[in-house]
Amino acid sequence: MDIHIFDFFPILLFFISFYGLITTSNIIKCIVFIMLMQTSVIMFWLGVGARFGITPPIIGDVAYLEYADMIADPLPQALMLTAIIIGIAVTAINVTMLNALFKKYKTVNWAAMRDLVNKDENTLED
Amino acid sequence: MTQVLLIFWIISAACIIFCRKVYRVIIYFGVFSLITSVIYLSLGAPDVAMSEAGISAFATIFFIVCVEKYYSRGRGLRREQAQEKQHKKLIFTKFVPPLLFTLALFGLFIYFVPTGYAITELRDQYLQMFMIDVGGTNAVTAIYLGYRVYDTLFEALLLVVAVVAVTHVSWLGLDQIPDGRHSEIENSAMAKFTMRIICPIILLFGAYLIMNGHISAGGGFLGGLTLATFFICRYLVLDIYDLPIKKVMKMEELVFINIAILPILAIFTGLVYVVADVAPFFQNIYLIAMSFLIGMKVACGFFILFYRYIAIERL
Repeated sequence: MDIHIFDFFPILLFFISFYGLITTSNIIKCIVFIMLMQTSVIMFWLGVGARFGITPPIIGDVAYLEYADMIADPLPQALMLTAIIIGIAVTAINVTMLNALFKKYKTVNWAAMRDLVNKDENTLED
Repeated sequence: MTQVLLIFWIISAACIIFCRKVYRVIIYFGVFSLITSVIYLSLGAPDVAMSEAGISAFATIFFIVCVEKYYSRGRGLRREQAQEKQHKKLIFTKFVPPLLFTLALFGLFIYFVPTGYAITELRDQYLQMFMIDVGGTNAVTAIYLGYRVYDTLFEALLLVVAVVAVTHVSWLGLDQIPDGRHSEIENSAMAKFTMRIICPIILLFGAYLIMNGHISAGGGFLGGLTLATFFICRYLVLDIYDLPIKKVMKMEELVFINIAILPILAIFTGLVYVVADVAPFFQNIYLIAMSFLIGMKVACGFFILFYRYIAIERL
């Protein structure tokens, strides 16, 4: 089984950050790890068909199309350009929700926050 | 060369994952983003590389503002360490089952992922036709402004939704929007002098990126990010803070309506191609106008996000 190097490393990074996501107890670290997972997905898509000595898809002259094999694929690049902007928007919303939670519970730890939320719910039921 | 960069990439990611202090995580994240953008450049994607470099600066600012608030004077760090000491007995059951689970998933993915091939027909089609269909010489800009303009529309819509959500949650319960806190590095004469030279250059560079997005690397997203960086520099160092935020939000909505209208008029109805002789002229006008609108949109969005984080959350 031979796997391409640009496929192997992004999948490795995805699962390293997945491991970090399910073992950490800090919410800020969780947000950073979600950004890492997003970066790995972007790298996976940009690495489709990547080789050494590849050139950007900026063509000043039609004559360059003779060397079309060495030009990178423009479609994943255009899609990933929008994915990066969406990713920072998602991160901003994550951090905003964290701020709203911090104002209420004064902690950034999942376990401590869960205890406080349970206490709140019990008092509401009483 | 690229293999070495990929190995450094994984090492910096492992530093982020296994580091314990949050400040160090953020600094390592900056290093990680730098290596990532260099790898993007070596993969032949200069637009994506420059976007990643710009985005990482914004993300670092967000997280530093967060950590400055949550961990003021090391209190939070001590609390975190105390909680880790409490759970020290559970360390085996806490770390080993997730590790096994992750390894199993990784093995499955590696075994089943399709690898080693790439479909080149669509790429050849785009590369041969984009100069006639859309215009310009940058294939990436031609795709996201011509062939796949729906993607750009919904991306802009998502940025609007994010800004609305952030402002709604942020200003919840505030009757009046405060003026914000002044930056505290205004006394540094050296930084002030440097910024006075750099700020016009940043503005010029942003305008250059927007106007040249269709013939070289760059485009609306990058130009917008650079324009937003100009306002951040202005606030951080020169302490100028005179933009009315409500007008900026109104302007963002108006710009988004224009982004929706312009492709409908130009591309979907085919007005650009009516006279075949002058079609490249109108195509260039369309591309520059769309880049300008997207640049204004991204600049307004990121300026509002920045305002919210720096000025209001630091209070």
